[in-house]
Amino acid sequence: MGVDRKAEEERLIALMIGYQKGSMDDFEGLYAALKQPLLRYLWGFVRNATVAEDLLQDTFVQIHRARQTYTPPRPVRPWVYAITRHVALMHLRSGRRRKEMLAGDQLPEVPVPPEMEKFADKATLHRMLSELPHHSQEVLMLHHLLGMSFQEVGQILGIASGTAKVRSHRALKALREMLAEDQGGDE
Amino acid sequence: MNTESLPQSLRQTISGDLRPVRPLPPVWMRTLYAVAVAAGGLAIVVVAFKLSLRPDFEELPMWLSCGCTALQLIVGVVLVGMALREAVPGRGVPAGAVTLAVCTGVVMQILVGIATWMNSPGMPLIKGHGLRAGMTCSTHDLALALPALAFTLWLVFRALPLRPSIAGLLGGTGAAVTADAINHILCPMSDLRHVLIWHTGMIFGLMLVGWLAGKVWEKKRFGKS
Repeated sequence: MGVDRKAEEERLIALMIGYQKGSMDDFEGLYAALKQPLLRYLWGFVRNATVAEDLLQDTFVQIHRARQTYTPPRPVRPWVYAITRHVALMHLRSGRRRKEMLAGDQLPEVPVPPEMEKFADKATLHRMLSELPHHSQEVLMLHHLLGMSFQEVGQILGIASGTAKVRSHRALKALREMLAEDQGGDE
Repeated sequence: MNTESLPQSLRQTISGDLRPVRPLPPVWMRTLYAVAVAAGGLAIVVVAFKLSLRPDFEELPMWLSCGCTALQLIVGVVLVGMALREAVPGRGVPAGAVTLAVCTGVVMQILVGIATWMNSPGMPLIKGHGLRAGMTCSTHDLALALPALAFTLWLVFRALPLRPSIAGLLGGTGAAVTADAINHILCPMSDLRHVLIWHTGMIFGLMLVGWLAGKVWEKKRFGKS
């Protein structure tokens, strides 16, 4: 797992260097590698697959405009996710958000932290996750689902890595408590 | 192989402007650029305004004259470095560190002012001339700070600050603290009223300028109100 992640990160760095040199193939490689995780991340903000797709394009346009701000060989993902997060937050602050309707049939697979899957069915966990504050959901998604270190999570969110760790711990604790309450209520 | 997954509109946008780009130099190197510009600006201002060391410079203890100036310069440069770091996506400075650094810069200036006043009264504040003396010091402060501030903000906005007002605030504080470090050994007055109103006031003013510059840039770049 660790070796895979390192190899994947090295591949992203190589693609990013090629892209900075003007290679369209490397941009396409970067897009293909990041599209799905970024869509999942964006969906966490907007809860609408169509809007997430639109924001993904906006994100890559911003990435393109800011491509000189990536400094090799730093990890690519914190840089990309920070831009993605900013695109999503700017969208949420704009008026466009109010016009969007959440259509149930377009919900993608809602991510659940793997260590929580054994405690309840996915539907219950999805409901509980959506009840958590957004900053807690975000830390869980970045660390537990997208496999980022707390240091990377901190770089993306502009917080200390210790703060990211505390948020993750609190979010998991809150999920467990919600689960315990839920199971207590069923009995 | 990935061609089919890339939307046509995005492909057109990217391929229309795919010139090679050079990555930004690392933060420490850009900080050194800002230091070089600040030093150049300082030399020009000293010559242009014919500035000289305060008359009681020799009477001040070394830790208070050169020591505090060096310390303030270091804090100013660190603040500028933090602004340049904040300007790069994924390298955001935690809120606690921003607060600590900005407060350190301001509090240090006030403490140095108090210590100087306690050690040497300096030139007395003549009644009726306070405003004139203050305006002179503010002009010097501004002339010392502006090259560093302008260059720092240019470097900040040349990158992609995702919290531009925070980056601007850090840059503004850094430039102001650096300018005050120099003015500390130039301004002949130690009167606390003069120091707090004109010198500390100038620091707050430049912090505001940096913060506002960030807001304006943000509105221009992202259309955020």
